[in-house]
Amino acid sequence: MSKENYIEEIRPHDSAYKHVSGYAEYTDDINEPKNTIYGAIGLSKKAHAIIKNIDLTEVKKSEGVISVVTQRDIPGRNDVGPVFEGDPIFPEKKVEFFGQPLFAVAATTTELARKAVLKAKVTYKDLKPIITIKEALNKKQFLFKPRKVKKGNPSKKIKNSKNNLKGNFTTGSQEHFYLEGQAAFVIPKEDDNFLVYSSTQHPSETQQLIAKMFNQKSNSINVEVRRIGGGFGGKETNFMTACICALLAKKSGQPVKLRLDRDDDIILTGKRHEFLSEYEVGFNDEGIIEGLKINLSSNCGMSPDLSAAINERALLHIDNAYYIPDIEVINNLCKTNIPTSTAFRGFGGNQGMMAIENIIDNISRYLKKDPIEVRKKNFYQKDKRNVTHYGMTIEDNVINEIFKNLENKSNYKKRYSNIKKFNEKNRFKKKGIAITPLKFGISFTTIHLNQAGALVHIYTDGSVHLNHGGIEMGQGTHTKIAQIVANSLGLPYSLVHISSTNTAKVPNTSASAASSTTDLNGAAALNAVAKIKLNLEKFIKKKYKIYNQEAIYKDQYLIFGNRQFEFKSIIQEAYLNRISLSSSGFYSTPKINFDKKKFRGRPFYYFCYGAAVSEVTVDTLTGENILERVDILHDAGKPINPALELGQIEGGFVQGQGWLTIEELKWKSDGQITTFSPSTYKIPAVSDIPKKFNVEIFKEGINKEKVVNKAKTTGEPPLMLAMSVFYAIKDAVASIGNYQFAPELNAPATPERILMSINKIKNKIKN
Amino acid sequence: MISSSVKFLLNDKLIVIKNPDPNQTLLNYIRTELKKTGTKEGCSEGGCGACTIVLGELVDNKIEYKAINSCISFVPSLNGKQLIIVEDLVSQNGKLHPVQDAMVKFHGSQCGFCTPGFVMSLFSMFKNNKSLNNELITDSISGNLCRCTGYRPIIDAAKSLNKINKNDQFSKNKNKVIQQLKKIKPKNVYIKKDDKLYFSPKNIKDLKGIIKKHSNFSFLAGGTDLSLKVTKERKEIPFIIDLKEINELDFIKVSKNYLEVGSATPLIKFEKEIKKYYPDFYSVLKRYGSVQIRNVGTIGGNIATASPIGDSLPILLSLNAEVLIESFNKRKVLPLNHFFLDYRKTKLKKNEFIHSIKIPLFKKNIFKAFKISKRFDDDISSVCGSFNFEINNNKIKEVYIAYGGMAAVPKRAKACEKILKNKPLTINTFDQAKNYLEKDLSPIGDMRASKEYRLEIAKNLLMKCFVEINSNKLSRVN
Repeated sequence: MSKENYIEEIRPHDSAYKHVSGYAEYTDDINEPKNTIYGAIGLSKKAHAIIKNIDLTEVKKSEGVISVVTQRDIPGRNDVGPVFEGDPIFPEKKVEFFGQPLFAVAATTTELARKAVLKAKVTYKDLKPIITIKEALNKKQFLFKPRKVKKGNPSKKIKNSKNNLKGNFTTGSQEHFYLEGQAAFVIPKEDDNFLVYSSTQHPSETQQLIAKMFNQKSNSINVEVRRIGGGFGGKETNFMTACICALLAKKSGQPVKLRLDRDDDIILTGKRHEFLSEYEVGFNDEGIIEGLKINLSSNCGMSPDLSAAINERALLHIDNAYYIPDIEVINNLCKTNIPTSTAFRGFGGNQGMMAIENIIDNISRYLKKDPIEVRKKNFYQKDKRNVTHYGMTIEDNVINEIFKNLENKSNYKKRYSNIKKFNEKNRFKKKGIAITPLKFGISFTTIHLNQAGALVHIYTDGSVHLNHGGIEMGQGTHTKIAQIVANSLGLPYSLVHISSTNTAKVPNTSASAASSTTDLNGAAALNAVAKIKLNLEKFIKKKYKIYNQEAIYKDQYLIFGNRQFEFKSIIQEAYLNRISLSSSGFYSTPKINFDKKKFRGRPFYYFCYGAAVSEVTVDTLTGENILERVDILHDAGKPINPALELGQIEGGFVQGQGWLTIEELKWKSDGQITTFSPSTYKIPAVSDIPKKFNVEIFKEGINKEKVVNKAKTTGEPPLMLAMSVFYAIKDAVASIGNYQFAPELNAPATPERILMSINKIKNKIKN
Repeated sequence: MISSSVKFLLNDKLIVIKNPDPNQTLLNYIRTELKKTGTKEGCSEGGCGACTIVLGELVDNKIEYKAINSCISFVPSLNGKQLIIVEDLVSQNGKLHPVQDAMVKFHGSQCGFCTPGFVMSLFSMFKNNKSLNNELITDSISGNLCRCTGYRPIIDAAKSLNKINKNDQFSKNKNKVIQQLKKIKPKNVYIKKDDKLYFSPKNIKDLKGIIKKHSNFSFLAGGTDLSLKVTKERKEIPFIIDLKEINELDFIKVSKNYLEVGSATPLIKFEKEIKKYYPDFYSVLKRYGSVQIRNVGTIGGNIATASPIGDSLPILLSLNAEVLIESFNKRKVLPLNHFFLDYRKTKLKKNEFIHSIKIPLFKKNIFKAFKISKRFDDDISSVCGSFNFEINNNKIKEVYIAYGGMAAVPKRAKACEKILKNKPLTINTFDQAKNYLEKDLSPIGDMRASKEYRLEIAKNLLMKCFVEINSNKLSRVN
């Protein structure tokens, strides 16, 4: 793509018509062959226990049951761990979380299968479960050895600093609550081949894990995904559903559909990592951080899954947008008896950022300064104070500009002082305001994952068929990639068709994750287009004797200087002249490198930036609160389709707001989850969103790196804009003590926690 | 006349289901038997709205379009109605309905899974209302969860409908559908399928006939709670008597001193009437549940379920409501305060049903009610507090206070009331009285709130009453 050839084109999501009319097909909607049967999974009723016996006699006799599978039916690898072992499909000896799959059945209807699994008689020998981070720390239950990352001499710096503070802070877990639950549909084919439809962000890994489970080669498994009803990281691993479905299909020899009931989905799948940070910080009178020591512990659940990478990203974002000259982080990956904690939008980055934002907020309260000033003082700069604690020089910093711009646009200063006046006058209602920055690194920190493939065909009628390795999960990646491919070929969008993601078309793909789906797959698609173009141009140049002219693709014409060829006819002509009109494409992200052991390098191709101002009103008698106004300025580079980016920004914000305010997961001490349905686990609903919601894309934004369209992704980062909501609530609570005390408040800031935080300040005033 | 078939219109096509399984959910029927997959399963408990469909019902020769959760409604509830699902909104030439078109234009879908539910909620709002203000829009989609968009584009899509001509294909087809609905006007339905029974009488006489003969039945009066036995516990409900088709139980009678509400009156109908007398009752009812839930949930169902967190119950208690109970040969009146025995246990005997509830109209009193929950929309109360004061010359003459979520049953706070009665309206009075709530109430801690928080909120709500009465202003953030 030539440099000037950016597009910025608003159009609806490519499936919008189908979404609204009910014709968009999800896994459970796929038409079934007549002999299809339906699965359900039998779950453990203990969080930590030795399995003494599983008696399935009554299950097998239950009405409609056709097939029952246990670990004995697995011919190959009994594990769905993506990187490390530890996630048995069905455990052989020991259950490690409440709801762990023990067996599965397929029956003539889903209802009968679900009834049947309840009839199992399982006997256990109880072991003591470990549920919380604190319990795991006390008992030293870790998945990996604690890890230390260090730069400079923070202990000395803290000792020599004029001011220092100690404290601890937690951010909570979060359930993905994708509206489409986990679902798979597996059809056995000849030669022990299997056609697998699965609601997954990662078809290639699904393919490999099913192959390994069957002791077969990957080439016998074909995984196809048209779209998924939300993922957010919750379908990046969680391969349990597809593997169990495939196992049932293999044993019964019949097509099997398996759709988890919402309760089961929440009970048995992993969630966001809860994080505990225990810190000690030294800073000067302006609030500038001089040294920081922090223990970062996360609740990883029963197995490694992606916890190593998630914790690594937390360590890589412990700075957020701030320069920390001397720092030491000790990272504990706690093993507990809850489902394995997993990827969730932000992937640890947001947890790291919340930890430092809490520290900055507490520094501001200690120094009795407006937190905006302390934040600005600590920001990374362009020429100095621009190297991160992992040794990467930040080359694309725009946080200072964005912050300044938003501060003015949102009228922050005036509102800040008005709020103080309001709070002086009002006894029971208190307002709070906060502005928070975000800097988020883009790329998989596991370098080899930063690759993508695509397959492009041009048919003889001039229409284009395109496949790539990315999954359409609502973010609009198919729409955007079709837009840039159409633009690159000078064709109308309607001539480019993207069909299901399929492991037989594009192999060895990475998960649609790390916000990089469009960056990677879009570039791979353009690479494929470029190869076809090269063929085509070579042919035309030769045939029409055109020399040294660059081809321009525009308005369905291919133009060489004053020679014009209608696209459709030249394609037809190329075909008749036996020119290949199909190509695969490939892309791997340049420049990046990261030494995981030394914790040094350039793990990110680029950074995303943004900032948000939130204003809340808190009812100090009940802890209820309302989000009065939010202003957002977010860097999306040169957005391909600003409407879709806006959707990601707003949606990400509200999802982050849920994480930090009302979404609260609870486990009993025996390891049973008590918040496993929409009646007990509350994600934001329509009344929760800001009363005034001003969202803008940073107009000056441009990606300095050679990313497709010079765009910046908007996948994960906007979630972290919601940090401002949490600190606005904290600001409102601080007003109770006339801003003399830093409120003790952990996330999520539920009404109950807010009231308890208010009470603590009231008690401090009394004493 | 008794029928063992369920007759309904699928949009405008007559469908007769002979002897259906009375435990089959509407969602299951739509997806597996009609083979229409636009309607989605999100939670199977009426908590996410992905399964929302619209039922057209003939009311006074007009069609009312009710959005409901198909995942917690059973197939027989279709009887005599028009079923409209998301696919029906697209015209035969493939043209989208204005509601769908607005959702496309305003980028109201991302992953698209919740979208059909939103479309159906917005469709019923669009059809039932002349103008669409923010409050109506928010209420209409408060029972639809979206995890992708953050709702703003959906709200904008809904607002844009104000400019759209209401004359859609359903208006054009209206007379034909009304004629068809008249033809299939529901009769008594009696279904015997395998070992399951279902009876839907049209009048009280027939209801009495059946309860005289039988005993082991469950009344269905909306079913937003009962249906979970099937969808969540995966059990069967062997014998259902559906009260919703009995017109004699669906009424609101207003007299000088009280309001009488038939037990099968849907909450959505009741809330509109009660708003005139007790605005706070209305505000709490709006948060009782989504439109989909309030369209089917009934006041009688809420009372008979006797859940400690049934939101209408503390309010009715503080209003000194009475329950009219009938059996096949007797009628009696009980103060609601004596009706609840223990956790989900009431004085209602096996062969009795609730006929109606009488709500006194305290025209001179100050009435306040509060619902405290983690989320504003469609959440279960941590605490629901209701307060009814008669104040004369700055003195508390009479007071009724009740709480939900604070004990095994919704409960009056009598010790606290006693302290307040005949005392001056001062902060000291309230300060003193609030501590007596510890005697009255015995909350538990659960996933929604701790014991301590519940008790503190209960006290603070009493103080809030004082603040509001004293200042003559509301002190609320929502």
